[in-house]
Amino acid sequence: MADSSDNIILVTENICKSFGITKAVRNVSLSIQKGEIHGLIGENGSGKSTFSSMLCGIYPIDSGRFILDGTEYKARNQIEANRKGVSIIVQETGTVSGLTVAENIFLGNEDRFVKFGVKNTGLMNREAQNLLNDFGFDRILANVVIDHYNFEDRKLIEMVKSTYFKPKIVVVDETTTALSQEGRLELYELMDRIRADGRTVIFISHDLTEVIAHTDRISVLRDGELIDTVITKTVTEDDLRRLMVGRELGNRYYRTDYDGNQSDDVVLKIRNLGVPDHFSNINFDLHKGEILGFGGLSECGMHELGKALFAGSYHRTGTVTLASGKEINSIPDAIANSIAYASKDRDNESLVSNTSIRDNICLPSRQDLKKNGLLFKRNLDDFAWKNAERISVKMTGIDQSISELSGGNKQKVVLARWLGKGSNIMVLDSPTRGIDVKVKADIYNLMNELRNEGKSIIMISEEILELIGMCDRIIVMKNGSLNGEFFRNQDLNEEDLIAKMV
Amino acid sequence: MTEQSTYTISEGARKSRNANFDKMIREFFPFIGLVVIFIVFATLTEGRIMKPAAAKLILSQVYVPMIAASGVFLIMTAGGLDFSQGSILGIVSIVISWLSFQSIPLAIIAGILSGAAIGAFNGLFHVRFKIPSFIVTICSMFLFRGFCAYFTTNAPIAASQSITKLNIDSLKNIIMVSVLAILFFVFQYTGLGIQLKAIGAGEKAARFSGIRTDRVKFLIFVLAGAITGFAAFLNVIKVGSITATAGNQLETQILISLVLGGLPISGGSKVRFSNIIIGTLIYSILNNGLVMLRYDTAIQQLIKGAIFLAVVALTIDRKAIKVIK
Repeated sequence: MADSSDNIILVTENICKSFGITKAVRNVSLSIQKGEIHGLIGENGSGKSTFSSMLCGIYPIDSGRFILDGTEYKARNQIEANRKGVSIIVQETGTVSGLTVAENIFLGNEDRFVKFGVKNTGLMNREAQNLLNDFGFDRILANVVIDHYNFEDRKLIEMVKSTYFKPKIVVVDETTTALSQEGRLELYELMDRIRADGRTVIFISHDLTEVIAHTDRISVLRDGELIDTVITKTVTEDDLRRLMVGRELGNRYYRTDYDGNQSDDVVLKIRNLGVPDHFSNINFDLHKGEILGFGGLSECGMHELGKALFAGSYHRTGTVTLASGKEINSIPDAIANSIAYASKDRDNESLVSNTSIRDNICLPSRQDLKKNGLLFKRNLDDFAWKNAERISVKMTGIDQSISELSGGNKQKVVLARWLGKGSNIMVLDSPTRGIDVKVKADIYNLMNELRNEGKSIIMISEEILELIGMCDRIIVMKNGSLNGEFFRNQDLNEEDLIAKMV
Repeated sequence: MTEQSTYTISEGARKSRNANFDKMIREFFPFIGLVVIFIVFATLTEGRIMKPAAAKLILSQVYVPMIAASGVFLIMTAGGLDFSQGSILGIVSIVISWLSFQSIPLAIIAGILSGAAIGAFNGLFHVRFKIPSFIVTICSMFLFRGFCAYFTTNAPIAASQSITKLNIDSLKNIIMVSVLAILFFVFQYTGLGIQLKAIGAGEKAARFSGIRTDRVKFLIFVLAGAITGFAAFLNVIKVGSITATAGNQLETQILISLVLGGLPISGGSKVRFSNIIIGTLIYSILNNGLVMLRYDTAIQQLIKGAIFLAVVALTIDRKAIKVIK
């Protein structure tokens, strides 16, 4: 172990960074070796991009220090970071439009080509072209304006720009999401070359498969803290997911039961339902304790169907009838009769964005919350706290405005209001859309719990895997009609559903 | 799981104290404005504005706009605007004056009903025919102002002496306080406030939360008309005879008052009932102060306009302004 300290390129000591009241990075201490590809993973908001931005001089650090190659390292901006041997390939486009490829590659370093106050463009272009050729990107021409190249080529140019000067550390920040398979292979190759050179790559990615395939060690961040650094060979994707989320996810991500116990009690009967321009003549029954999925292309009518079940569509025809025989003809009817609806359009339909969490949770239940016909703020507060905490909404308090919450937390507020209302029939349109893996798992678990309590759920989703994973029955829609029905089955696969969608 | 939620609470409690501090500053801002404007005019008028006579004068000018503003307050909370209040006050004052010779209770009831009818007219066009409320109410402002002019073409319409005898400050105080108290109660404890705020902040989502948005919007236009109809009773008590310009520019006075009182012009969740009271007081101190300083009417208008613009520019929520209905 004695010589291992010689082998270390970067040590971070108690690095911290806050934005306002949010602690984005807390006391992160880790060491990264020479000649390694070091993975950095975590959920959205776990602090990995903030951490790498500090390393590359994009954000100043609040406290703690970086030690690069044995001496303390500070960078006030990216160019200074580059000079000191740290560079980054960013998530979005890191190239400047309107400049030539060569000008982009040497951005901030034009001085090299300036003699007596005159820039030698020819020399610059030649050098840039040599670099491009060295990287194997001969087809990219250095003297062409960069806008002529597509997004992917621009990423390759950025790779050249970030690495030609042989930096000690290259940060690759979620670059692969923007690349096709070919581009990815180029990037992996580049990373391998840097490693072979005895230099270091910090590889940030959401794709756990590629992280495992291409790194030597992996550090996991959660809520701004370093959870663990593991040796890649010894872990599986599930291990990583568990570290990221902080508890067992594994197979519980989707439902695991396939016993197919299905109640015959019909809780909602839909007959001849139609909405002009969306769908017509829809008939089906929803059973007690059933998760019924609706799948299809996004314009197949299923999203409007969810709205129509809640009586939220204009010009609806046909009937939605409860087991009691009661017909649902208005939104207040639906709510009073225990039907809940989470719209796909979370910001405009599910929640009143510019209003507090409290009001949003309480609105559908406002009649129930009255004491002797009167509504007291204390009761609203208690009700909102209770239901927000029940599914751990991350918030500064119930007074916080919905518009300040992340997508996952907004969805939790939507669920909190209907849990509070005690609805027995939940129509959830795209419940996990744009939500990170942890909240997604929470929502799936909650759906499962509700199902076990005997509640019925209609899940409308464009994600086929979640339909297969969660539903007792799946109805596929096409062009405004029902086009297929599938029952829960281990052998059900995506192709079966897709065949009925298109 | 439990660990997670305790963290959420304790951290949440700390953060919400911070947020509460910000919120307090924002909520007290109109009140501070009231105190400042009072001190400024007390100094400029060398204390004359604090004398009982001046205070009484200010108060006498507050009754009508304060009551009428409380109706518009409901409309603005839901994100609408109402420019027809001045005309409603004018036309209803004429109705009350006519009927004051028959019976005063009858005159009051007829006043409330005719105000409500005009409010229903506004509400119908706004809700049913989906015309933005400020356009509908500007139209009814001209329409009913026209009726006012028609009825008073030959001579002002005088009210019976039995009604002008009621011009007693204590009575008017009781009436004003009662109206505000009742409205506060309805706004706060019957769920009307939470519904109106939700409509103001996002009508579509309010509808999907089970609020009958069209019905509620229609009702508040009716209610605002009825309230102004009732305010017309106090107006007749005070002036005794109605001319074509009765209630002229009341609508802008109300709008300015409410905004000075801290009401966001697009309504929504930041609305407070106190906006009505503080705003109306600020406006009348400003108004009377300028008169006492013997500024020319044109200068007075100019100063008021400038202050209004400044306050709106400072307080407007630029993200929400698109939703004015």
